[in-house]
Amino acid sequence: MRSLNFVQRVSLDFTGTLFPHAICLGDADNDTLNELVVGDTSGKLLIYKNDVSKPWMTRTCVGMLTCVAVGDVCNKGKNFVVAVSAEGWFHLFDMTAAASGKADSVSQHESLCLDDQKPCFTQHIPANTKVLLISDIDGDGHWELVVGYTDRVVRAFRWEEPADAADLGSGQLVLLKKWLLEGQVDSLSVNPGNEGLPELMVSQPGCGYAILLCSWATQAPPAAAGDPPPDAGDPPPAAGGDGSGGTAVSTPGSPRDVILHLTTGRIHNKNVSTHLIGSISRGSKEESSKCGLFAMCTLDGTLKLMDSSEQLWWSVQVDHQLFALQKLDVTGDGREEVVACAWDGQTYIIDHHRTVVRFQFEENVNAFCAGQYTCKEGRNSPCLVYVGFNHKIYVYWRVGLERMEPTNLLRLLEQRPAFQGLLQQLGLDGEDPAAVRKLLADVLYKDGAVQTP
Amino acid sequence: MFPRMQSEEKDAFPFVEDSFSRFPSQSNIYGLCQAGEQELLAATLKGKVVCFRYQELQQKIRPVAKEVQFTYIPVDAEIVSIDAFNKSAPNRGLVVGITFIKDSGDKATPFLNIYCDYEPGSEFNLESIAQSCLNLELQFTPFQLYHTEVHCEGGGRETVFLLSGHDQKIHLYKENASLHQFEEQPVERLFPELQKLPSNVLWLDMLSLPGGRRFSTYGCQNGCVGLALVDQSKPEVLQSWQVLQDSPISTVLLFSLNSDSPSTAAEVKACRPSPYLHPNAPLTGFNESRCEEMGSYNLLVTSTIETAIVYRDIQEHGMSHPEFLLESDQWDAVLCALVVDLDFDGQKEVLIGTYGQELLCYKFQEQSHVGSERRFQMVWRRSFKSPVLSITYSDLTGDGLKELAILTLKGLHIMQHSLSSTADLVLQRLSRRLSIMTPGSELSSGHDSQDKADTVRAPESTCQPPPPP
Repeated sequence: MRSLNFVQRVSLDFTGTLFPHAICLGDADNDTLNELVVGDTSGKLLIYKNDVSKPWMTRTCVGMLTCVAVGDVCNKGKNFVVAVSAEGWFHLFDMTAAASGKADSVSQHESLCLDDQKPCFTQHIPANTKVLLISDIDGDGHWELVVGYTDRVVRAFRWEEPADAADLGSGQLVLLKKWLLEGQVDSLSVNPGNEGLPELMVSQPGCGYAILLCSWATQAPPAAAGDPPPDAGDPPPAAGGDGSGGTAVSTPGSPRDVILHLTTGRIHNKNVSTHLIGSISRGSKEESSKCGLFAMCTLDGTLKLMDSSEQLWWSVQVDHQLFALQKLDVTGDGREEVVACAWDGQTYIIDHHRTVVRFQFEENVNAFCAGQYTCKEGRNSPCLVYVGFNHKIYVYWRVGLERMEPTNLLRLLEQRPAFQGLLQQLGLDGEDPAAVRKLLADVLYKDGAVQTP
Repeated sequence: MFPRMQSEEKDAFPFVEDSFSRFPSQSNIYGLCQAGEQELLAATLKGKVVCFRYQELQQKIRPVAKEVQFTYIPVDAEIVSIDAFNKSAPNRGLVVGITFIKDSGDKATPFLNIYCDYEPGSEFNLESIAQSCLNLELQFTPFQLYHTEVHCEGGGRETVFLLSGHDQKIHLYKENASLHQFEEQPVERLFPELQKLPSNVLWLDMLSLPGGRRFSTYGCQNGCVGLALVDQSKPEVLQSWQVLQDSPISTVLLFSLNSDSPSTAAEVKACRPSPYLHPNAPLTGFNESRCEEMGSYNLLVTSTIETAIVYRDIQEHGMSHPEFLLESDQWDAVLCALVVDLDFDGQKEVLIGTYGQELLCYKFQEQSHVGSERRFQMVWRRSFKSPVLSITYSDLTGDGLKELAILTLKGLHIMQHSLSSTADLVLQRLSRRLSIMTPGSELSSGHDSQDKADTVRAPESTCQPPPPP
């Protein structure tokens, strides 16, 4: 198995502890460059930019942050930072305003900055949150917020505000639906189904997954989808601790709307924790939007790549405890590779043809994420982000590879049509590897002296 | 802190890592050698030797690092150094030497094991070589195991082992043809420059010159660097130099800046008026042993505390023209060095590996605007995850393009040139060769001109006097 050693990394200061889902990469301030967003157990939200070891922005939230996300959750055409605490406090931050404020008010008084520290919106939603997803789950072109809970519940919310709303204060999150699962939900993801419509997928223990149906989208005409059922009301925005009101509401739509899929294979433990990621790019938009690819991994070391027609692309068994699953295009060919990380730092990058590249991060890992981040050179590049237990976050910012498979110059040249022609014209037999090897060695190591003046 | 450091980050490291093999225990600066054409041997402290190569499987290549079970290395052995060479023609076969210290508790005993197979057909088979061992007990703690080719009485050539030790001596191991085995022989008979050494030698290097002479250099624990010009045929020391530095010398390396063998460099100079006349000549193969006098030789000295130094044009100036490799002392002790052409421009670069986990690359810059000042400048550097112990540059993938193998404390990194850009360069150079070939001149005319160049050059080379003794 090919093994690599990435070395170009920056270390960021991080003194807290965090939950595995309280870290993400995204464009928090809408400058097209991605930032790293981290939430810790004391309620601090940290945003890192570039290779600066100190956080670029710090915010304080209520409760113990379990998950963070960056996305256009309000459907305003710009990204917000979302932080949700275990106690059920939903925080919305507008970093674009903060960024411009920070730029303008360098010399202005502190009070303004202090005011900026507050989230621009908070709301209490049911407690015991675990994972967060901002995505269009019903195919209506608008973003929804999906929250997974430790009590095997998944809830979908939508941002609603009056048409004449001046600011975020008048809007609120409205519950769309609640699903009850049989097993723990470790990941939420969206994957294009066979018809090209998004499907909301959640992982289920034992390398299983469930597709959650958005009944409001199928039952009601799309125009009415915006109107929530009157009984699905949420607690008023920023109300007190009376969060149980939300959970008491029964889910709209009578069937359970959960389609469970258990994959076959060597699953030793039916309860083993499972992660899932969908919408893995297949290179061309067309292919990716139909029949989407998704990957799963389990804590006992099973990795699988499947498509939405339940076709198994590959399955890999490793002897490391995989606890995080991401996707990342490391070769730059438009196809996203599957990246899985184990507690002990062993990281696997696997392409669609099951070519594996390994990387050993030298510490135990608390949380892991992979994606595009602007670390150096002022542009997004594929990065691997590890949070260890030594008050540091390590960002490996040069993890791009020319290719996944080892190869040599000869094989590469054979794919260039010009090469065979040149060999023939030079009177050399392309079939004789020894002669071609000699020629290449001469061309590279002897011709240089002749041609450089 | 330095402006160069900032620009360095933009200067992309021209390699991509192709594989990393983790070793079970650490290695040292004497722990990596080339064995055969496409294989590397790396020795680790706890008695394990790993063979690294690329395996061809189902139209794919993949890196394989496999342990080779060399016989007669006890479980409690700690390997010090490893070296390997192919026997000089007409003899055939791979010879591997491994020094180790067997620590059985009360007393540590050093050994030199020499492995070589005389069975026809298996002279190059590593597995069978590893089984045929000559076990020599040593009376000294071994350091670097080195090999070099010597001229024998009969006019033939033979490759011998040189082993430095803590007894301030260098020991010679030469094959006894009649007995079919290696034995220690007095070093002064073949290497008069290696007697009466000032201290323990940590590193040794030799470079064969045209005209049956050689440069021979060593770096010592007490900071002494010795350099000698030797007439191999007598043998006799023609000239020798010595410099004392302040810290142990980690590497000494003799090199000429121009790429490939000195003969090629001379070739280029000789045919400079019409360099493109015989584009196809390298294909027919040059006679590598042709004597040239035109090369200029340099000596690289790296030490554990001080800045690395290149002594320029040692054939003319000896060790009186030092040039410092600035900032090479910034990353802890320099442990290893290599001089090879990494960017295919025909001029070699100096690579330096440090305990501070950095690999530095220096290039010789001709600064025309600052008068005649010529300097080595750092062109890039790259960090590793552990101290850089040893470097080799050889074709492991079998495509004519060489790979950089970096031995670090934790394992072996194989760095490959960026293949797409190298492929572009190859196509570009091939079409240039073609464009030179096609306008009229036949291949034979190319040879004619080459012959002419030879005859023109021949008197020059014989006229040139040897450097004064």
